[in-house]
Amino acid sequence: MESQDLIMDGDLQTLGLQSILKMLALSGKTGTLFIHSGRETLSISLRKGQIIALREEVVNQPDLLTMLCLMNRLDAQQAQSVRDAAQGNMQVALPILVDQNWMSRAEMQQRLEFAITQSISHALRWVNGRFSFHRRVIAMEGKMQPLDVDSVLLESLRQADEWEEMGEISLTRATMARWLPEVSNDVRSLGLSQDHIDVLCLANGEVPLQAMALALMIPEARVARILARLLELRLVEVVDTALEAELQQDLTNIIIMSQHTLARQRQNLAPDEHLLGLIKTLSQCINGLLIHHGSYAKSLRGRGQVPISDIVSYLERRFAGSLQFMAKQQFPILETASFTGGQLDCSELFNLDRLVRGEQLEEFYWEAVRGLAVFLRTVFTTLLNDEVGNSYTGRQLNIVWKAFLTEIDQEIQQYQIYRAHQHAQHARSRFNDSAYQNDTDWKSAAQNEGTHLWSSEWQRRSI
Amino acid sequence: MIESIPTVLVVDDSPTVRKIVQMTLQRERIRVITASDGLSALTSVADEMPSLILLDIQLPRMDGYTICQIVRKNLQFRAIPIIMLSGKDGLFDKMRGRLAGSTEYLTKPFDSAELVQTVKKHLAGWEQRMPPQYEGMRTRLRRRG
Repeated sequence: MESQDLIMDGDLQTLGLQSILKMLALSGKTGTLFIHSGRETLSISLRKGQIIALREEVVNQPDLLTMLCLMNRLDAQQAQSVRDAAQGNMQVALPILVDQNWMSRAEMQQRLEFAITQSISHALRWVNGRFSFHRRVIAMEGKMQPLDVDSVLLESLRQADEWEEMGEISLTRATMARWLPEVSNDVRSLGLSQDHIDVLCLANGEVPLQAMALALMIPEARVARILARLLELRLVEVVDTALEAELQQDLTNIIIMSQHTLARQRQNLAPDEHLLGLIKTLSQCINGLLIHHGSYAKSLRGRGQVPISDIVSYLERRFAGSLQFMAKQQFPILETASFTGGQLDCSELFNLDRLVRGEQLEEFYWEAVRGLAVFLRTVFTTLLNDEVGNSYTGRQLNIVWKAFLTEIDQEIQQYQIYRAHQHAQHARSRFNDSAYQNDTDWKSAAQNEGTHLWSSEWQRRSI
Repeated sequence: MIESIPTVLVVDDSPTVRKIVQMTLQRERIRVITASDGLSALTSVADEMPSLILLDIQLPRMDGYTICQIVRKNLQFRAIPIIMLSGKDGLFDKMRGRLAGSTEYLTKPFDSAELVQTVKKHLAGWEQRMPPQYEGMRTRLRRRG
């Protein structure tokens, strides 16, 4: 859209979508309103203050024709002929269905109205983002009766409220569900309503929640509630293929990076350098996972561009408690690590060599390594359960994760062997000293009492 | 519909790398076999005739350069594309890889999307490269689509 067409623009925090639409309707404007939030974009065409068309940029455009086939409203041949003629444009496909007498004109109008209400309802939940209103109306072929902004807004707000009322829910409009292969009993015995059965029929693992809502003309929030019930009944499982592929790629890249850092630090020959290298690897991996979770956590999804402060407070709420608990219960050294800006700040641990040296330093490093290794496991388990649960992707990622943990454990074990060896040498030299130098041993034993805290403690913990 | 799928041999001493590559490529409908050291890698090449080899440089028992040279000297296997996979990103190592006969060089830590892209690029026309004596194996690898 050319800049000379621009009438006004701004951000959604200053002026919300509801106010913008009302204002444009009241002043009877003609043009196109664009709303962007994160990766999502919506364009609403208005003529004399009434909605004449809407376009939503969705990665996987729901194919109504396929869904009508699934609902036995069309056969595959009919659907293909319409698809060929409409070339993927739903605004064109619907009038063709009407011309062919496969759909009534009233249903077409109802479907178009419903689709617009759904999209606006979704956009009303965007917190951050920008809007711009342009003079030119984007040409969209459609045979829809213009819609009154007030009535569309009223219904959209009602539907947006329905989403909000559901509270923290793991389902989004992109969620896909599929029948669980284990389902063998007769679903009729479960006393499901017609809506539940309709949703169940579309749960083939390829139809997103948004498309189900469009096909059945049931508001998205209600479809989400039905799906949640079907999940409870263990009739379906959730699949969000695109999101799962994306998050799988992101997570594998973090693991590849961490494995690479781990392999590089193996070159450190001195034990304290080796331990510090492990601390750096573990903290880097934890922070990578935290950044990842800030983008893919279920409760942060479907809200457009989420403010950084919300992500930070979410991450801290989720993980800071377990870090503090571990510091209190098992690994006091972790008290030096803190959450800053949604990241684990280990700078005090990295600079520990400025405060202590020798055996004591090694001792602190060793405790930090074990503590961070436990915390890393906690972070990953929490993250994976939240993001993908026990899905196919979740299981695959778990296999990779276990392989990575094996490598970390090997590094830790290597150091344990070194410590055991050192410990044995100390014991042997003490024994030799006691046989021949009884006087000095008493002194050294007294001196060493404080510094050799780790040996019995370490043995207990390693068991 | 009968469809044949390519096989990629992943040679790396790190179980993490092997699992990641396996998971990433299987998602792209590519069969993956793995080896953790140089000698088992050569056995896998002879037994399975992979369509492509992803080869780490630092390996136990025999390094990646040596494996690459052995494969290139063998008439049956010389056409197999070899992608070197290593943490070494210096020009010298890349040159050494090229001299040993590698097709391409991927530096660790690699991006999984980049890995898929590179593998797919070199898998083009993999069926034509398979020698006739492996026809039986090709049939075995076929599966119903």
